This record gives sequence, C-alpha cells and structure tokens, in this order.
Amino acid sequence: MKNREDKIAEAKRFSGADGCVECGRCVAACPMAEMYTNFSIEMSPRGIIKKTLLGNPVIEDKNIWYCTECNAGTDACPQGVSCRDLIRKLRETAIEENLLENAKTCKCCGSSFVAIPVENFVYGRLKEEPLNVLGVLDICPPCRREIYLLRNA
Amino acid sequence: MNKQLTIQQPEAEREFSLNLEDLRPRPAEKKTFASYFMPPRHSFILFDPEKCTGCGTCEMICSTRNVGKVAPSSASVKVITDEKQGKNFAILCQHCRKPLCMEACPTRAIEKGNDGIVRISRLFCTDCGLCTMACPEAAPLKAPNNQEIHKCDLCEGEPLCVKYCPEKALTFTRGKAFRWIKGLRWTTQFISFLLLVIVFIGTFCYFKAGSVSLACPTGTLQNIASSGTILLIGGVSSALVLLILTILSGRIFCGWVCPFGFVLDLVDKITPKKFGWPSFLKSRMTKYGVLAGAVGGSYALGFQAFCTICPIGTLCRSYGVQSFFKSAELAIVPALASLEIAQRRSWCRYFCPVGATLGLTATLRLIKIVIGAKRCKKFSCIQCAEVCPVAIIDADQLREGISPKIPMTECIMCMRCIDRCPYDAAKIRFRWQKAVPGENRK
Repeated sequence: MKNREDKIAEAKRFSGADGCVECGRCVAACPMAEMYTNFSIEMSPRGIIKKTLLGNPVIEDKNIWYCTECNAGTDACPQGVSCRDLIRKLRETAIEENLLENAKTCKCCGSSFVAIPVENFVYGRLKEEPLNVLGVLDICPPCRREIYLLRNA
Repeated sequence: MNKQLTIQQPEAEREFSLNLEDLRPRPAEKKTFASYFMPPRHSFILFDPEKCTGCGTCEMICSTRNVGKVAPSSASVKVITDEKQGKNFAILCQHCRKPLCMEACPTRAIEKGNDGIVRISRLFCTDCGLCTMACPEAAPLKAPNNQEIHKCDLCEGEPLCVKYCPEKALTFTRGKAFRWIKGLRWTTQFISFLLLVIVFIGTFCYFKAGSVSLACPTGTLQNIASSGTILLIGGVSSALVLLILTILSGRIFCGWVCPFGFVLDLVDKITPKKFGWPSFLKSRMTKYGVLAGAVGGSYALGFQAFCTICPIGTLCRSYGVQSFFKSAELAIVPALASLEIAQRRSWCRYFCPVGATLGLTATLRLIKIVIGAKRCKKFSCIQCAEVCPVAIIDADQLREGISPKIPMTECIMCMRCIDRCPYDAAKIRFRWQKAVPGENRK
C-alpha cells in the first residue's frame, strides 16, 4: 500500500511535472478560461503543477476537479509536461483516499466518470433542453450505449 | 521546508469578460420562404439492426480514415453486442437537428454546416470530451486509449462504413427533399377556405345543390334538439357525409378542411407562445361538455344556441365578400383566434363542439397513426411531438423507447408527424393492424 507522498511522486514522474518552467502556455491554451467565470491561477494547470511541486496539499483541493482532461496544455507545453496526466493521477489518488464529493458517479455502473464542476458546466449549457435529456447526463457513455442497445435492437 | 504558495486570487467574479461567443458568434438560422417547404438538409446514416452481424468492418474502415491504421477504438462508429439476446447495434453520430455537443463544446469547435453535417474543427478542438458527455446517443467521440476526439463527418458525403458494410445494414440518406404532405395540406386548406368562406357563403353550416346536401353534424344535433323533429332527408343524411368521412379517415376535416382551423394555423405562424393555460382548463373533455351544453341550450331556448357564436359558422357566414362589415359576428373569430397565444389550436383542443362530434364519431375510425419507437432516434429528434398542433404525442414515452399510443379521437389527421419524421417511423395504419414500424411482429 503506497502512501500519498509516493502516489504524488509517481504522478509527478509520470507527467513530467518536474520539467515545468512556468511559461504559462498551458494557461493560455486552457479551455477552462472559457468555461468558468471564476477561473484563477489556483485552478489553472500551471497553478496545480506549482502546488504539486511545492508539496502543498493538493489532493483535498477542489481546484483539481475543474479540469476537463483535455489535451490543450500538453500540446502547448515546450517541456512536454502533461498537465492532464498529472491532474488525472491526482484525481485517482483523491478517489482512492475516498475524497469523492467532487466526483460524479454513474447511476448505472457506479464508476466516477466526470467531475462535478465539469458536469455543472454541461448542465448549464444544456439547461434549455428537455429534462429527460439531462437525465441521460447522469449515466456514463458506455452505460448509455447499453441502454440504447436494449431499447433499440 | 514547505514554502507556502501565495497566489493572489480574485475574490469577486470578473465583471466583464470577452468569451468565444463574442469572438466567433454562431451563425443565426436563416428562414426563407423556400425553407418552409424545402427543409434544410439533414444527412445521416440509417442503421438496420436486423441485418447487422456485428462483424466490425465499419469500425475498422472508419478508423483507417480517422487515424490511418486499423484501430477500432479510434473509430467514429461503435458496434456493441448483446450476448444474451444475440443482437448487435451500431452506434454512430446522428447529426442531430439541434446538436447538444455543439452547445456543450467550451471552445466552439463543433459546427453544423449548411449540408446538415456536424463537424469538429481541429483548429479549436482541445480533446476535452465534453461532447461525449453531452451526446444523448452516446456516439463514440473520445477514443478510450489515446483520448482523442474523432467525430463522424459522414466522410464528406460518401461514408466508407456504408460502402464497405458487407450486410448493407447501414444506408446513407440525405433526408426528405420536399414535404409534399405539407404543401398538399396548405393547398387543400386554402382552397376549402376559399370555397367555404368566399365563394359559397355559409356552405359549411348547410349547403344544398339539387339533390346533394351537406350539413354540419353539430348544427344538425342542435336543430333536432331545438325543433324536436328529425329530418332524414336534408338533415341527418347530409350530416352523415361528414361523419362517414370521419369514420373513414379520422378527424381529417379538422386538419385539412376546417376554415377556422386554417385561420388558426395562419395565426399560429405569427403569435409567440408566451402564456400557458391554467391546468383546470386543460381538459380535453371540456369540448364534450360544450357539445352537451350546446344541444341542451338549443332544447331550452328553441333555436340553435351554439351556432350563433360558432367560429366556423360565423367565419363562413360573415366574412364573405358580400357581407363584409355587416354584423357583430365578425368579432368572434379574432377573439377565439387570440387563444393561440397560449397553445396551438387551443380552441380545437379544448372547446370546439364540432370537433367533439367528430371525435365521438372517430371512435368508430378505420385508420390510426402509429409511431414506431424502435425505428425513431429518440434523443436527437422528437420532431413529431414538437410539430403536433394538438400535442397528443407523448415525447417522454417516445424517449423511454415505448411506441406512444395516439388517441385518434383527439388527432386532427394533419399528418405533420408523418411529414416530419426523417426515419419513416410515423405511419398511417388500419385500425386492426398490429405491426409497428421497426418491430417485426409476425
């Protein structure tokens, strides 16, 4: 059983976060700036990388749950740091430590497939759609396919 | 030693922010006169679950186009199999009319072109996968292994999966080019309006040419009640013409002939739907009450009580060229047409006693409208429930995958649902036919 420090160290090694030069390109490319009005450096990939590197408590931080796990920051990074992989590893650690308040679980299979802030953004965009469509959003895409198969085939 | 990270965080939300909606505004939907009859192109791939064997050729050929190698996880089509029932199903992008992925995309990378194809611009896409979240059809967008987004773009009009499907389970369609039922219905409505209101004044209430006579069935009922005598020739027999038409083809009079219905359809085009009815008024039984009241009132008063204020009758009698600006009856039609601000065809739904008589007759109908939920693509479409002027198609049931039962006493047989359905799921069937489109029931 690894402890938290080992897991964070593995996340840093896996994502190459040690090579971060704080140029801020990932922040410029990050789509979270479009999504959240309270977008701040704490929430941005650069802020999360810095926090992880400095050894500050990052697992309990709500800010790691805003990320959409896109690939824009990795594409922009001159050092090849994958902020997506880092955040994904941090989230995995948080889920392993039972910090589940920001992870949305599928109604059918129970897997945590999306973060609550990201889901709230999708809800906000689709709030004018009929409610049944929004009910679909509680189910993860593979389970949706299963339901679709049962209904249609 | 841990150095504490001190970062200034803005407390309040930003007051002004320029986002992508300002930089790249969505093109507004243009509505031209031609678009009423020539619907915008809606290209999609139809899938037949009966023919699919689950071989996965579509996945392979799709991935060769997407990533240049055979990697089914990167395909824009996903074949899933149900081992218990032995059924296969291909899930692919339906190129929805109102794509939810387009709404959900934070970088506005998804756009729907004029040809109806929903595309992702690789310039703006960040592979975030919110489109996968929003897609109600659960179309495969995000590859599970390398997290890349691959969106079906119908191979720009020549889909490879359709071309290479060995069982021909996939067919490419460009949708309906012309809504001929719509054109036919508006023409019929216009001609009957012209005939009933302008040319032969008062034709609908009573019309006699030689031995042929026509009469309004509700008016005949009131006539019988008020006078106490039953005229077989010229009375009941002429009313029977409309009733027999209703038995043969449902309340087709309401949707295709009724001049007041034509006025309501026209008024509906220009009125915004801002108000809703209070729920106690929303009873479709009200019109039977109005019918009973009309007959009872005629019996008590000794004349055809409802006919004096009937919108169809007043429209036919008072709005002709000869008698224009003649009487106070002119106010009835605009007053009742203004009910359209609440719901489409409010008068027909809740109050019209003529429709009530026809509705009672329609219990003896010979035909019905069926919507096969198995064939329809529930989440991306539901156009039938949207266009139904009397709102009798249960969209919730349709989304659950149950073929909705359509009450034919309420259906006005306008056939808008049949005209609109791009998947040919709405059909006219005889009453005794059990088969529903898309379901093989032998």
